[in-house]
Formats: sequence, C-alpha cells, structure tokens
Amino acid sequence: MWQRETFKKIKQVPGEEHVLPGSALCAGCGGLESLRLATKVLGDEVVYVNAAGCFTMLAAYPYTSFKGSWLYTTMGSAPAGAQGVRDALDVLIAKGRLPKSDNLKVVVLGGDGSTYDMALSSTSGAMHRGLDFYYFCYDNEAYGNTGMQLSPATPYGARTATSPCSLQHPSGAAQEKKDIFEIWRAHKPPYIATVAPRYPLDLEEKFARAAAFTGPKMFLALAACPTGWLYDPGETPEVAKLAVETGLWPLKEAIDGVVTHTYVPKRKPVEAYLKLQGRFRHLFEPIVQTEAIQHIQARVDAYWERATREGS
Amino acid sequence: MYAVRFHGRGGQGAKTASRILGTAAFLSGYQAQDSPIYGAERRGAPVSAFTRFGREPIRERGGMAHPDLVVVADASLLEDPAARLSDGITEQTILFVNSPLHAEQIRAQSALPGRITTLGVTEIALQHFGQREAISALLGAVAARLAGLQQEPLRQAIARELGDLGVAPPIIERNQTVALMCYESVQVMARESVALPATIATTFHTPVYESPSRGTARISATGNSVLRETGGWRTFRPVLVADKCNGCWLCFVYCPDGVISMNTDDRPVIDYDHCKGCQICVHECPTHALVAEREQEGGVAWTAR
Repeated sequence: MWQRETFKKIKQVPGEEHVLPGSALCAGCGGLESLRLATKVLGDEVVYVNAAGCFTMLAAYPYTSFKGSWLYTTMGSAPAGAQGVRDALDVLIAKGRLPKSDNLKVVVLGGDGSTYDMALSSTSGAMHRGLDFYYFCYDNEAYGNTGMQLSPATPYGARTATSPCSLQHPSGAAQEKKDIFEIWRAHKPPYIATVAPRYPLDLEEKFARAAAFTGPKMFLALAACPTGWLYDPGETPEVAKLAVETGLWPLKEAIDGVVTHTYVPKRKPVEAYLKLQGRFRHLFEPIVQTEAIQHIQARVDAYWERATREGS
Repeated sequence: MYAVRFHGRGGQGAKTASRILGTAAFLSGYQAQDSPIYGAERRGAPVSAFTRFGREPIRERGGMAHPDLVVVADASLLEDPAARLSDGITEQTILFVNSPLHAEQIRAQSALPGRITTLGVTEIALQHFGQREAISALLGAVAARLAGLQQEPLRQAIARELGDLGVAPPIIERNQTVALMCYESVQVMARESVALPATIATTFHTPVYESPSRGTARISATGNSVLRETGGWRTFRPVLVADKCNGCWLCFVYCPDGVISMNTDDRPVIDYDHCKGCQICVHECPTHALVAEREQEGGVAWTAR
C-alpha cells in the first residue's frame, strides 16, 4: 500500500507562489493548476525549458510568470535544450565559476503534442543519456495552443478540430491514446509519475519523492482543459476527479521501472466523466453510441484487471 | 460592401456571431466573408472578428479599418485599449453595446463618436439559458437586424453554425427563438455608408539585421506578469461569505492562477486584480462560502500598472 510520507495534510501545501498571476493562460486551466502545485515543491532555483505550446504564454514578452529562469525551444527539442542547460551548469560548477550552492534544477515543460509526438525522439535520447532533469508534460489530449487538433494523446471518441464526427467516424477520434507512460518506462528512468490537479497531496508527494533521484524524473500531468474539452472552467477539478475516479487517468509512479498505483479508484462508469464534456457529447446525443462507450469502458476495465493481476 | 466588426472576449462567441452573420448574409444572396483574429490570448482576452458582405465580389481582406457596424459583446472592452475598439469609428458608424444600460449612459462613459444602441444580451442569455457564454446566436441576431438582414436566413444560419459546433437540436431551437427576440428588441439605426478616406500613404521599412542577443526577445525580470491585470476577464466574481468559511484551504489549493492566499485566520484573500473568474473556488468550496456575483462594471483587462 502506497503512502504519502511528506504531504499528509492539505495545510502542508506551501503558501508561497512560484508561478505568478497575470499570464494569458485560460481561466480554469488544469495544466496551470498542476504546474503551480508542482512548483511549490520545485521552488525558484529552476531553469524551465519550454517546448512551444500553451505554456509559452507563461513567459510571453515582455512579461514572465516565473521567478525562475526560462528558455524557449521548438516543440521537438526541449529535452535537447535541457541537456545544453544542464551541461552548461555542470561545466560552470566544475570550473568553479558557479558556486555549487547556486546549482539549478532543469525542468522541461511540454504539452502532449510535444511530448507524445514531436519531442518523442529527443526525450528518448535524454532518458537514454541519463540526463538529470525533470520532465513535466501537461496533457490536455490535443494540440491545444493551435485550436485543439488531434494529437497522439487524444483519447478514442473525442471530438477535436481534426477528428470531427462524420458519417465515416461517428464517434470522433478513431485512434487510441498513446501510452506514453509505458514508452517512458521502457527506458527505465529512475522516476516516472502521473498526477492530476484534483489530487494535490498525491502531486506534491510525488515531486517531493522525485527530488531524491538523479537522472530523468518524468511527470505526466492531466491538464483538464475547459477551452478544448468544452466544459465550464469552474468544473476543472471535477473533470480531473472523474478522470481518476473512472479509472481513465490512473495515478501511479514507476521507480526504476517498477509500477505502483498510488490511488486505486472504485471506478465509476466512464459515462460520468464523458458526459461532463462537450468533446464527448456526440456519444450521447442525438443517439447514444453504446458501442463506442462500451469500448472505452472495456479498455479501462482491461487496464485495471491487468494492474490487479500484476499486483501494482 | 457592408462591414461589421465584432469585439468580444475569448469564449463569449464573437467569432461564432460573426460566422452566423456571414452565413445569414450568404443565404440572403450576398457575397460574404468572415474571419476572426485572436493573438496568443485565451478565454477572457479581447478578440475580434470581421464579417463583410455585399453584392459585388469582396476584395478586401484582413483587419477592418472602416466598419459600418461595430458589435461589442462585453461593455468592459469599451475601456480596454488592447481591444482597439475605437479603430476607424466615425460619427456614421453604428455601435452596438451588449449592456442593460441606456445608449446615453454608454455614450457618457465611453466618449466614442459612433451612434450607439444597446441591449442587455447577457442578461437575456442568463434568463433563458442560465449560462453566461451562450450569446453568439443572440449577437449574430442583433448584428443581422442592424445590418438589415431578414429573419429566415438568420434562423437557418444559426442552425448551421451551431450545428457545426455540435450543439444539440433542442438547444439550437431555443437559441433561434431567443435570438429572434433579440432581433425584434434591438433599436434599429438608419444605415449610412461610411465614405472611405483617400488612399492611405504606404511606407516601407527594411528590417536591419541584429545579432541574436539584440534581435531576440529577452525578459530580464522575474515574475513581472503581476504588472498585467487579468481581473477584467471576469463575468462573475467569487465573493466570500465569511461566516460560512471553515478555513479548509481548498480554494487556495485549487486556484490555477494562484490568486487566493490564506490569511492568518485561515480565511481566503482574493486578488481581484488578477482573478480571471474561472469559478473553480466557487465550485469546490465545500461549505458554499464562496459565491459568484455578476460583475456589474467590467474592469480593464491587460492594463499595465
């Protein structure tokens, strides 16, 4: 049974803010909610290496929300940028030009378009080289910054700008969501975790635990997205909660490749989650697409059966 | 050619309203064109959209320097220089403002030269749909009336555009009914065409090469985004009912923008200069100590302190 050691009570969430307000991110952004909580553990002694995406808006000239440093890269090269920053810091420290006490953490910020798609080879390379960095993926399951086009993170059945509901594809996206957690795990980095904004203590605990490891520390954050998933911005925590409670977004970690589920939900029917969002409305109106909903449910069931069998 | 410029905040439906008007004009037999413009900003930030229609082919593209009609979806934009609402407005321009206030009151506040007409479209939407952002069809209807289009093509245009967005048929029907109410209610202004000024002189600038250290945007400050206020994004503000608060911290924890802090008595303090009004705190408060109140006079988005 997984237990939190550092963060046991909600009042342990640090009060100091490290991502300041005034950014152009959407009201109710689930990705920002996750990042804000993560930075409460990461602190300000950080260089963020940001792949192009929604989070670009956090440091749009001439304003930055970060108290730490920030470097902008293309969608495909943030982990390579992180390698350069890490190497520069190491060299400066080795030559005595930077005191060891001024060392900085290197944190990649990438959306799912970058993480699952364009930067996959660059991330694989960074993990393979054992780069000492954090990777924070804010996963809103589509290319959100450009208007919600299908990405490899888009789940089956979701309507996006490029997976509309048509006679050929009445249920929206025909592909399954890519399992990036397992792709990462195949590289055996010391630490991987999934987090969701509605589970702040689980999130804080995982960042606190990750700090003990040297090497790639990979995070996959559910970025519930009112703009793209089409629900009221105030419902972001509710949507994130249902993603976890239906079993669609498992909260887990992998230490040296060994998986532990940090929370095992009782698993509500997936409809509870799907119904809340406009991107799945076509599954219920004008006719209920039972087959598509059952397909989504069956995949969740299969996932958890395997997880139970493997005792993770 | 008749030119209509829509101003709204991201999420209010200015773009869809512009599409509805364009489609209604097309269905009326006009040549029509519509396009939105938004920067990297998001929900709540100023956006505009342009609809042009006429009997002749439309050659003009892009931004709209000389609108005949300007539709303002959110009265707070009147005060917001970032919205560039006054661009090209003359005495002849018809200016529609979504506000329950009378046109004279708006005129007294805004000092814009156009001929102003108003209707409280958001109030009508709240009354009929219970939702604050369902105003695209209603704005489209108001624009169609002011631009002299008929009801039937408007009805069809609403069905088409909302249908494309995946809105369910019963809701489309309700939108059509309420939109036609707005169509009937808005006070019509006589149509006058804007005389285009003489050709604008064009000058060309050749960019000079600068090394990356000068030519790349760099921010040499930390955390200066607080200089920019996003309070004007709100339609509703969260307000604390102090005696209901049990000091649980959840509003502080869940606020994505970090605009809620806890005071020494464990009560939330909300930074209204930056709160974007997402209502997460209102939704998540277990004791209903945070309630949503409609913003009466919108603040100013994107002002620098």
